[in-house]
Amino acid sequence: MVKNLRNLFMMVVLVGIAGSAAAQSGDISPERKQAIDSLALEKVRDLSKYISIIGNKKTAYSEASRVMDRAEELFSPGAEMGVSSLNRKEVNYYKVRQYFERLMALNYDRVSIEWYDIHYISDLERQPDGKYVGVVTIYQRFEGVSEDGMRYKDTTKKDITIYVDRKKTQIAGRTVEFWDVLLGDIKVTETGA
Amino acid sequence: MIFKTTSQLKKIHFFLTLLLISSASYAQIVREGEDESKLYAQSKQVNQFFRRFNGEEDEKGNRYYARDKQYRSEKLRRKYLGILFDESNAGISGALKVEFAKNVLDKQMFLNFHGGNWFSQVHATFRFNGKDEDVLLFMELEKDHAGSKWVINKVYADMFAPYFVRDTTKVGRFLHPLSHELDFMNLRKALVNSDSISQFTVKRFVPDHLSVFLYELKKGNLEFKSVNQVQFHFFQLDGWYFELSNFNRPGYNTGWLISNLVKLSSPGDKEALRRHLYNETN
Repeated sequence: MVKNLRNLFMMVVLVGIAGSAAAQSGDISPERKQAIDSLALEKVRDLSKYISIIGNKKTAYSEASRVMDRAEELFSPGAEMGVSSLNRKEVNYYKVRQYFERLMALNYDRVSIEWYDIHYISDLERQPDGKYVGVVTIYQRFEGVSEDGMRYKDTTKKDITIYVDRKKTQIAGRTVEFWDVLLGDIKVTETGA
Repeated sequence: MIFKTTSQLKKIHFFLTLLLISSASYAQIVREGEDESKLYAQSKQVNQFFRRFNGEEDEKGNRYYARDKQYRSEKLRRKYLGILFDESNAGISGALKVEFAKNVLDKQMFLNFHGGNWFSQVHATFRFNGKDEDVLLFMELEKDHAGSKWVINKVYADMFAPYFVRDTTKVGRFLHPLSHELDFMNLRKALVNSDSISQFTVKRFVPDHLSVFLYELKKGNLEFKSVNQVQFHFFQLDGWYFELSNFNRPGYNTGWLISNLVKLSSPGDKEALRRHLYNETN
């Protein structure tokens, strides 16, 4: 909640800084794009952190369940994960919650989930409904060790949809506009790298 | 060398262990560094292919804007153009790549996301009559209200093709030219045999798999299963066609890369190639 307020405050300030000319024309200025990128990255980092906690075998069920709730809040309704692997072209589709539950239930004794310090953020494109959409790409390294010592390792590329919407709220009786970012569908691809 | 005491041996053992540990962790860092440099080299999104082609970002993927000195600079573009081809494809000659790059740079040709003349080919699997069937969806961007969206322009499916086969070289079956005088009563005989019904259509008839696809989906006979592969076809650069595919493999030459390049000498070439891609035979 405090974090959401912080984000809101940040975006309200940013809207103020960036002025209104670009917003009126429907384009996003480079400055605002950078601010939106930062907010999107913050959400993506939150998601990465939540995935690491959910996947950690030491995380208690009640804690994992709570984190799953928090993670779900990052997404727009109906978001799905599409998962493909190197030896299977076909994509398996899961609801976000279902994906987290599968991650939690993985049959390993120990699990390590790390994130590469690399990301790529696309341009923002406008949808017919006026919202903006972009894609953030990140990479995750997974290692699972089973009870008998067998190791499974993979690196996956995660292409994460972000929806950017201009919203209004009341603060001290004044209507202020801010930019909100929600995560959408995620394509998970096992990489051959 | 002779070690005089057990304590000395212990010290050396400790030192060697430290050395091993430190070299192991050093190796890990190097490996990580290599992994990351490969990921940086990869054209991670089609968006990144566009930006690299146009010279609109730095090597870490940070965007350049029109106000930046490096934005669309020839030097930057030249560097990127060299890494945007699938190097494993011997079918694209070095000479053709050089000619393409020279042409692109000399004529200052840029790719434009909303510039049209490029489309996506989506290889998907659908369930039809209890079997998995491949369907090609040809998608393009269309402006709509405040923004744009991807829409299906055409569909091609092998499973639909046999229903439209028609041999126009033979005389075949026909409705004679005075059929109208009998209120086309011979239609009954003509249409009773489903194998030959295509012979009664106008010569210029072009089978439209998209209509059949929509019909079968709406009837509930066709069910989406998965997208298996995505490619893009670009006709946006004057005199050239190229295909963009995703390469998921080890090494530095990965991600979205040019997998086919053709020099087009006439508008007829362009049209013929486009029809070939759409699987349009007549």
